[in-house]
This record gives sequence, structure tokens and C-alpha cells, in this order.
Amino acid sequence: METNDKITGLVQGVSGLVTLPDVFIRINQVIDDPDSNTDDIVQAVRRDPSFTVRLLQVANSPFYGFPSTIDTAAKAVSVIGTSQIRNLALSMSVAHTFAGLPNNLVSMDNFWHHSLYCALAARALARQASKCEPEAVFTAGLLHDIGELIIFNRLPEQAKESLLLVLDHMDVLPVYQAERQIISFDHAQVGGELARHWNLPPLLVECIACHHAIAEAQRYPREAALVHLANILAQMAEIDTLEPGDVPPIDPLTWEITGLGQDIIEPVVRQIQEEIAEAEKLFLGN
Amino acid sequence: MPLALPGFESIRRTWSNTYGTYAARLFPGEYYVTTNDECVFTTLGSCISACIRDRVSGVGGMNHFMLPTSTDDRRSTWVQLSAGNRYGNFAMEHLINSILKNGGQRQNLEVKLFGGGRILKNMLDVGMRNITFAREYIQTEGLKVTAEDMGETFPRMVVYFPATGVVRVRRLRSLHNNTIAAEEIRYISTVESKPVDGDIELF
Repeated sequence: METNDKITGLVQGVSGLVTLPDVFIRINQVIDDPDSNTDDIVQAVRRDPSFTVRLLQVANSPFYGFPSTIDTAAKAVSVIGTSQIRNLALSMSVAHTFAGLPNNLVSMDNFWHHSLYCALAARALARQASKCEPEAVFTAGLLHDIGELIIFNRLPEQAKESLLLVLDHMDVLPVYQAERQIISFDHAQVGGELARHWNLPPLLVECIACHHAIAEAQRYPREAALVHLANILAQMAEIDTLEPGDVPPIDPLTWEITGLGQDIIEPVVRQIQEEIAEAEKLFLGN
Repeated sequence: MPLALPGFESIRRTWSNTYGTYAARLFPGEYYVTTNDECVFTTLGSCISACIRDRVSGVGGMNHFMLPTSTDDRRSTWVQLSAGNRYGNFAMEHLINSILKNGGQRQNLEVKLFGGGRILKNMLDVGMRNITFAREYIQTEGLKVTAEDMGETFPRMVVYFPATGVVRVRRLRSLHNNTIAAEEIRYISTVESKPVDGDIELF
């Protein structure tokens, strides 16, 4: 079987286990409908009262730092912006969405802790790099490793073998390369396929699919490069180091594509270490 | 591949492109001593690795151990602790004796200690018990710790070059926590199911 067919099969195999939340699907439809207006988006939000409550919590948190109190769905949509609301709806439900894909290799707490670190780093980097939407790459960062959850759940033996191969290579072999050796494809490809299967915005698809291969990004190389860099800064924050030798190498293309310099590393790592506790409450809490 | 010292032939060694040497891979419960210019590496969760060498002759090696965590409350605490310590003593004495047997001098030994992380939430801090044991052992033996990186919440990858004493410690991301913990749990269950005999040859 062709590698692509294997990946498609893997994603189809989990489609009954992980489904996008209705509120996201509704907002997505409204935004993609050329005849819709802001009111339609507000209605889509309001139809899910518990989502509305959490949306207002996030909108009023220091995480966003909006100057005035946001007390209605309408105000939230106008202040946050329609496309950001879509990203936020996805970000706020993603941990719940993937609870249907348990595994024995990584605890969900640890998995989302890393993913959230990556999201925060991507957002911080996007604010420094011009021409990037911080909220879009935040969501991309949060979703970048979702393929891992599929592989861990569906191919547990091969996934374990891949992780052991990494350790046998003194942690110098990146996980995605170990996966390519053992499984013949990697978690970025699987995650990208799931994002396509879900009809997620192309920016998310490409960031997820190309976070280990930014040269392959066609439409959103800047965003893919930011998520690639954010993933490495997230690992630095996680193990509390600023040494480049402690984490996987940063693709040199990253600097060329984003225009960022290496001096960005330390402030971003420090910043996301300060933000993580609050962000966990907002995005990973019940 | 350089010859392994007698008794260490079964330790798996592979060429490492990263370091340009042969590298011996240790699993929980194993130890390795060498007089060659090669490295020995392992991954640690709550386990401890002592890296010990004769800083003059360069003979040295590494062990990888933990104390059993028996919660058998039919025995009193001190009996449990002393029984547990025997496994630690065993691991330390095997390593030190093997270094001395291969030309090391006790007064030249330098010790580096790693591991003892708390990598699983909702578990007793077994790492801290292992750390306390290791520190006390080294002190009791009158040896000197020249470097250490222990505790906290990370697993670690430790690469040790006995010939030079150089150590490379990488903290590992939490993605590896469960794989490493599973390895340690498998080891500790084999330790707990078989009694230690007191047969240690002292030099």
C-alpha cells in the first residue's frame, strides 16, 4: 500500500473517535458562507451557552488584555474578530476533542502542556514577525502534534519502537525521523491529513503538516516556520534550558523566512514560561 | 570495536556518529566499566546513575539503579529501608569494585551523580529516596562528588566518557516520560521479586 493511502486509512480509522465540536463547525460554516454577517456568527456562538461562558472568560482574561469588559457574545465577536473566534473555538475544545484517543505512551496532561507551550511561543513569535496572524498560529501551535495522538492510539507498538529508537540514538535522532524509519511516515503527515479531512483552514493544515519540513510549505511558509521554531522553543521552556544543544536543531530556513533573529529565543522562552499557568487554566481546564 | 572487559561482553555497544566513539547502552540494573576510549550512556527517570572513574588512569564506568519501593507494611520501616539500601549498595559496590579490579585506585576516584527525577505525577517521590541514598553512600565511603544533576521533574539522557570524565546530560522532554518509567517499573518488579544475597566481594 502506498504511504499516502496508509495515512488516509489511519485518519479514517479515527474519524468516529475524534469529532470537531458542533460550535466550531457552525462558526466555520457561517464564516465560509459569503452571505453571512457578523450577527450570524454571534448567533452561532450563542447556540452553545457553555462555550459562550468560556469565551467570555478567555476574552476577559489577562491573556488577551482587552481594555474594556467583554460581557456579551456580540461584543466578544466584534472585539476578538470573526476569524479569531473560529480559531479560538477550535483551541478551546481541542483537548476535549482528543480525549477519545487515549494512549499509554504520553499522558494527555504532558501532551497538551507541550502543545500549549508551542501555541504560546507561536503567538509570541507572530507578534514579532510581521504579516502573521498571532491567533491563527496560536491554534496551529496547539494542534501541531495531533498526528502523534493518532499514531500513539492506532499504532502503539510501532510508536513505542520509534520512541525507543530515539533514546537508543541518545535523543539525537528526532522523533519524526524515527517514525519515518519504523512506520514509513511521521506524525506531521498524519496530523496534516486529519486537518485536511476536517476541512480546517489551509493555514492550519500546512502548519501541522510542515512543522518538521518547512521547505515543503507552499502557501504559508512564514506560519509553518513560526510553528517549527515555536515547537523547539516550547521544548526549551519545558526542560528549562536556553542551550540550543539541548533541543532539536532549528532549521536555518526559519530565520530567512521569518526575518526573526536568534536574539528572539531567550525572551520568548521566558515569556511563555510566565504565561503557561494562566493559559492552562483557560484552554485545558474543564 | 574495542574489547569489553571480562563480565561486560553482554552490554550492547554501537558506534555513535554524534560522538565518534563506540557507545555502551545501559538499562536499569546494569553497569559497565571500561578502560577504552568509549562512552557509556543511559536514560534515567527516577533511577540514579553514578559515573565513577580513576582520574589518573582513566578506568571508569557507570551504573543504573534504584531502590525497591516495597509498600509491604508487615515489615517495619527501618527493615524496608535497609533491605532497599542493599540494592543500592550492591549497584555501587559492583561498579567501584570493578573499577578497582581493573587498575583503579580508591584515592583517585571521582564521582558524578545523575537522575532521581520525579517524572510521574501522583506517585511517591521515589527519585528523592534514591538521591538521598546515593549522597549518603558516597559520603560514607569517603568519596567526593565532583558534579551532579539530580531531582526535578525531567527524565535525563546521560552520556559519560570515563577516559576523560566528560559527561553530557540532556534533560528529556515529557514525551519520553512513560517509555522511561515503564522500563524502570519492569526493572523494579524483577528486583522486588528476587532476594538479594549478601555476597559482595570487598576490596
